[in-house]
Amino acid sequence: MTGVPVSAYLALALILFCIGLYGALTKRNTIIVLISIELMLNAVNINLVTFSKFGMNPSITGQVFAVFVIAVAAAEVAVGIAILLSLYRNRKTVNIDEMDQLKH
Amino acid sequence: MENAWLIPLFPLLSFLILLLFGRQLKEASAYVGILLTLASLVYSVIVLAGRLQGPTFKTEAGWLQIGDLQLTVGFEVNQLNALMLVIVSLVSFLVHTYSKGYMHGDERFPVFYGYLGLFTFAMLGLVISPNLLQTYIFWELVGLGSFLLIGFYFYKESAKQAAKKAFIMTRIGDVGLLIGMVLLFWQTGSFEYDDIFAAVEAGEVSGTMITLTAILIFIGAVGKSGQFPLHTWLPDAMEGPTPVSALIHAATMVAAGVYLVAAMFPLFEASETAMMTVAVIGAVTAIFAASIGLVQTDIKRVLAYSTVSQLGYMMLALGSAGYVAGVFHLMTHAFFKALLFLAAGSVIHAVHTQDIEKMGGLWKKLRLTGPLFLIGTLAISGVPLFSGFFSKDEILISAWTHGNTFLFWLAVIAAFFTAFYMFRLFFMVFAGEARSQMKNVHESPVTMTAPMMVLGILAIVAGYVNTPWFGTFLGDWLVEGNGHGHTEGPVWIMLVATLVSLLGILLAYLMYGRRTMERDWLSSRLPITYSILYNKYFIDEFYERSFVYGAKAVSLFLRFIEVFLVEGLLKVVVGLVQGLGRSGARVQSGQTQTYGMAAFLGLAFLMLIFAITGGYFG
Amino acid sequence: MTISGEFLAFISLALVAVIGGVLLLNLTKVVHMVVGLVFTFIAIAGIYILLSAEFLAVVQILIYSGAITIIMLFGIMLTRHNDEESDSKGGGWKKVLLFLGVLAFGAAFYIGIYNLDFGTEPAALHEKNTEQLGVALYSDFVIPFELMSVLLLVALVGAIVLSRNDGEKEGDKE
Repeated sequence: MTGVPVSAYLALALILFCIGLYGALTKRNTIIVLISIELMLNAVNINLVTFSKFGMNPSITGQVFAVFVIAVAAAEVAVGIAILLSLYRNRKTVNIDEMDQLKH
Repeated sequence: MENAWLIPLFPLLSFLILLLFGRQLKEASAYVGILLTLASLVYSVIVLAGRLQGPTFKTEAGWLQIGDLQLTVGFEVNQLNALMLVIVSLVSFLVHTYSKGYMHGDERFPVFYGYLGLFTFAMLGLVISPNLLQTYIFWELVGLGSFLLIGFYFYKESAKQAAKKAFIMTRIGDVGLLIGMVLLFWQTGSFEYDDIFAAVEAGEVSGTMITLTAILIFIGAVGKSGQFPLHTWLPDAMEGPTPVSALIHAATMVAAGVYLVAAMFPLFEASETAMMTVAVIGAVTAIFAASIGLVQTDIKRVLAYSTVSQLGYMMLALGSAGYVAGVFHLMTHAFFKALLFLAAGSVIHAVHTQDIEKMGGLWKKLRLTGPLFLIGTLAISGVPLFSGFFSKDEILISAWTHGNTFLFWLAVIAAFFTAFYMFRLFFMVFAGEARSQMKNVHESPVTMTAPMMVLGILAIVAGYVNTPWFGTFLGDWLVEGNGHGHTEGPVWIMLVATLVSLLGILLAYLMYGRRTMERDWLSSRLPITYSILYNKYFIDEFYERSFVYGAKAVSLFLRFIEVFLVEGLLKVVVGLVQGLGRSGARVQSGQTQTYGMAAFLGLAFLMLIFAITGGYFG
Repeated sequence: MTISGEFLAFISLALVAVIGGVLLLNLTKVVHMVVGLVFTFIAIAGIYILLSAEFLAVVQILIYSGAITIIMLFGIMLTRHNDEESDSKGGGWKKVLLFLGVLAFGAAFYIGIYNLDFGTEPAALHEKNTEQLGVALYSDFVIPFELMSVLLLVALVGAIVLSRNDGEKEGDKE
């Protein structure tokens, strides 16, 4: 019935995940890092939805989880941006390599 | 007698009290020391009296149990020990009393008494030890006491050097003793004197081993008793306060070597070679030190060399199987040499110099010290009726009957030298006119003269416990039950001994007393000999050139290794650790991205391995 | 494999999504990056439709393309971005290393998935998709659903507390 194999969807999700990962670990701007993390979450969502259709036990559950992930991602972004703003007020920068309080 | 172990504890108590409360007691600390050594003395006399009638007493308690091995501590009261107890505690008591006057006004008065207490404790402990290990412990403790007291005037460079020298030179001997001790233990499995002697007697130890251990133990005695060639520390040790010289470097500690040989006598007796070594070293030391004593000008140094010489006599006696003679001379020597040192201290106290060239004419000014010094001089010279005469006679007889004719004549010549230089000393100090301005020369206080008088009496009468005329009481008692033997000798020996000592006195009188002979008639004829003698055969210089320079060369070489090899290695190690630390610190940068990256790279690596080896996904 | 309409749609949507991601990595201005990513989000919504998840597709557009992007843009506006995304000094080898790591990671997973087929019949999820989802949420997953509401509330309060300007005192100082 379908011409698109499961592996194609999974490969797309993999590529997006890798892009997100690379961005999250290399970009110096904290906002871009946050967005990269969103991209990684999206890649995960693609996988969830793919498995909900083509998986071992196809059911709606995968989509329900995707909904939850989206909700958590939204919450995460809200808190992340709030932390970012708070940091920015104190340090006047959004560069992630200047936020090295962890070593002290 | 069961409580003889208390004897050393009195001086230890004195030491502890002065250590803790010396500052408060100040000069009153003398009384603490005097009273407690008096207690030791009284008790020692009681023990000696008990031993005169009773048998040898010995008790031991377990100390360490190592496997089958039992190390014990305890004490033993045999003839020799009991006699030594009395000698040591008596001289120590007298020196304690004497020091009250001599050290008066010294800032570290209580410290001095504390050290004296420590030394007396160690020496008393040494003489009642029943086994070699305990002996060794006290042996070292005695060395420590000697070191502390020689260096008592530590602000004087020479005193510091002398203390170090004494410590190091005796240490050489102590190593010999330690090795000998360990060898004996290896051979017989025990440190106990009795066990060792039993093993030796039963022939369990091979002849060579006996010789070897005996000589090694003798090396320890050589170091302690200032025998040639380790004698150089003893004259330098005169840097210490004079009462210390009297106590440690004349009467007691230096006699410890003789005591050790006497205590180990059965071991030495079992080896002819060892006996011969002891005799030869003793005779050589006797004549060698006596010849140096001929020309020295420092009052205490003359006495020091005379001490070395007399100790050589004792060794000669022991080496010639004259057990009684050696111990007898040890006793008489302790008395008259302590007397001489105390008298010399009294002289120094009066004129504030030690150079006999600057003294003279003191006979009239020191009405007590002068006669007492004369008594000591007569005794050491072997003039008949004084104690030294009898004991020296015994030694000569031993040497003769043992067949060491050459050594015998050496000893006779040494006796002549002794008489000569002792009277030279006496005449230069007391006779004639004062050779330099002497102000405020006055007799010493009674605390100083009283001990001298006691010793003076002893120096006269101590010989009568063992004479050919009134019976050999001491000798009989000493050899009782251990069969060390006692020898009778021809009468002419006594005459020869008397003759040479009188000759020596006469010569000294002519040169220094009457001055009918030029003082330098000999030294001007034999300038080289004089120079050699004056410089003590250049032994010190020889040691300096050979051992000291050698050690310096070796240490320079080792320092080279230290700097370039060890420290180089160290730098490499330090650099490694530092580098590691630095890279470690760089990892801890606080950069969350770096952390994440590291974690992710690890994960990626694992995944790759899984994929290649076909882990989960295969 | 025949080239069907579905396949074409997938290829084009995937292409857009990947290009959006690459733009995110390569653009220099922060705003451009975010806009580039919006394409990815929308393309992913398309993929959801292909996977018969219409409701999710709508939610994706609403939340990602709408809400999150807007929040990001606000974040960008509220902070200073004078420095363009410049290469940090000495970070070159780090990027190369990470790139290799990511490649290895991707390769490892690709080995796992490139031929994956469960061989099961796809479920009929596209019929009354929203209704199915709603029934599942309010029956089987009602407790997680309620928990999620609590989480959102906490996040809301937390975000407000964190981004508050700490009263007038701090403000006066600045």
